[in-house]
Amino acid sequence: MTDTGMTDTGAAQAADVLAQSLTERKTARRERWRLLSRRPGFIVGVVIVSFWAFCAIAGDRITPYDPFNDRDSKFCGRPPCPPSGAHWFGTDKIGRDILSRVMMGARDLLLVAPVAAVVAIVTGSILGMVMGYYRGWVDNILSRVVEAFLALPVVMVGILVLTLSRSSSLLKAITFDSRNILIIYVVALLFTPIVARTVRATVLGERDLDYVVSAKLRGESNLFIMTREILPNITGPIVVELTVRIGYSIFTVATLSFLGVGIQRPSPDWGLAISEGRDLLPADQWWPVTFPALAIATLVVAVNLIADSIQAVYER
Amino acid sequence: MWRYIVKRVLLSIVTLWLLATIVFLMTWALPSDSARLILGAQAPEASVAAFRERVGLNDSVFVQYGRLMKGLITFDFGHSWKYETQKVFDYLRTPLGKTAKLAMVAMIITAPVAIGAGLIAAKFRDRKLDRGIVLVGLAASSIPEFVTGALLAVGLGLKLDLFEPVYSSNADNLSLFGQLRYLMLPALALALAYFGYIARMMRAGTIRALDSDYVRTASMKGLSSSQVMRRHVLRNAAAPTITVMSVQIGYLVSGIIGVELVFNYPGFSRVLLDAAIAGDLPVLQVAVIISALIYMVATLAADLLIAGLNPRARLDLTAA
Repeated sequence: MTDTGMTDTGAAQAADVLAQSLTERKTARRERWRLLSRRPGFIVGVVIVSFWAFCAIAGDRITPYDPFNDRDSKFCGRPPCPPSGAHWFGTDKIGRDILSRVMMGARDLLLVAPVAAVVAIVTGSILGMVMGYYRGWVDNILSRVVEAFLALPVVMVGILVLTLSRSSSLLKAITFDSRNILIIYVVALLFTPIVARTVRATVLGERDLDYVVSAKLRGESNLFIMTREILPNITGPIVVELTVRIGYSIFTVATLSFLGVGIQRPSPDWGLAISEGRDLLPADQWWPVTFPALAIATLVVAVNLIADSIQAVYER
Repeated sequence: MWRYIVKRVLLSIVTLWLLATIVFLMTWALPSDSARLILGAQAPEASVAAFRERVGLNDSVFVQYGRLMKGLITFDFGHSWKYETQKVFDYLRTPLGKTAKLAMVAMIITAPVAIGAGLIAAKFRDRKLDRGIVLVGLAASSIPEFVTGALLAVGLGLKLDLFEPVYSSNADNLSLFGQLRYLMLPALALALAYFGYIARMMRAGTIRALDSDYVRTASMKGLSSSQVMRRHVLRNAAAPTITVMSVQIGYLVSGIIGVELVFNYPGFSRVLLDAAIAGDLPVLQVAVIISALIYMVATLAADLLIAGLNPRARLDLTAA
């Protein structure tokens, strides 16, 4: 056998291995989908989330009344009117139809929360990879900072940052003067250390494995090893973390809006609606609070059912 | 063990210093004219300037930072900016106590129920009872506390009239039992959020222990099942559960804010929100640092407890 023959077979073998690993990856993905679609929790979660996403996108095109301006009080003396045939969920303090507002109430939340989670995943993964891959003093210092951030209650820091950043030309410039974008930044900032910790732990488990060591011996750059070698191998934990983070992000944004520092009026946001309706409770006027509360409950449970299923399938 | 404790405490102090610095940098860097906010839009410029000078807003960053650090060591954070006769710490103490009371009631309700539920779920693993407990736990812990609180206020408060749907200051003069009528719903809202996390951890820990070799050995050498439970399973399942419970105390601080607002409970959250809106920076800084401190003390206590229960855990610190 000649030399060229040797390299030919070598190359062919390498191509074979590559093709095989690609098909393996494809089969694994198909297998995961099959398992996911068999889990009732996943199906229920997807149906509920799709429902709210549909309502959020369709908005006032499908709501029975105008969620912002319909001041309807002819059904009872003075708003808020209790649920009736005309207003299934009743009306709020100033006579706006609650059903219409609840249907549209997910619009801001479903924009802000997932985007914040995705931003946190990106920044947290970069940070976590650097920490786990380089170790040493970089990791030591960053780990302490991450630890300090983790001790800070998310909602408290959210209140602090969101109330103190009222007017500044710099903030206006980087948030395009949008409250929602500011919320995205704040939530992403607060979640970044949490993601970083998870990714760091995962990278620590990978960095001494053969494939990383051999890439180093081949003389690959650190950047290449992190992005092309390690990253594809830790997508599982990152995907799981993303779905879990989206759940927490919805939780956090809803809470901040309820506290009055998140999404602002006149958005029909659910958290905001609960805070506007809560002083009606002692007067036995329960509907302005109950329906948005049920809406939040269904959405977060649905998102967590999806996250749970994905976690179960990936960590099988 | 002593080496471990000292190391762990020193690390906590470093973390405390770092997080206080983070909080300081946030309040310092964010643009908000506290003096103007506190004195109101009509106040003449001269008195606003005088206020700035008086509270030290004109000092350099380092002087302001030094003041906060000195406060952390001496536990004297100076006066509130909004209520200038009030010391920051005294101002925070009463609401903090109220919040602690609420958190305690919540913990007392939830801990035994959640631990029991986790054990039962593990014993009936993958059967209907287990599935039910897991699902309830997932729902309970994923719904924001203020939402649970609002729904409880409507359901148990307004519709069934079992408890008061809104807290009232009258409750302060009642006996402890009478207060429960007011405390129950906010505590339940927190307890439900807790329940999910604790039950899930207990279930996982118990299952791991039940599947282990040492439990099999223990039952093969003839220990009764209750003895196996007590001596081997519970002890090992306890560690992750204790960790989760302590970490939850930290999250409880976050969740409790929403719950207090739903029920109009005069705790920490009202002070915090007031200070945030008013621009009362010393109160705000100290409030956030105290809540972080509570979390740190809770996790520290848990880690030490676990290290006491399980010598292997002491090695983690040297490894990490």
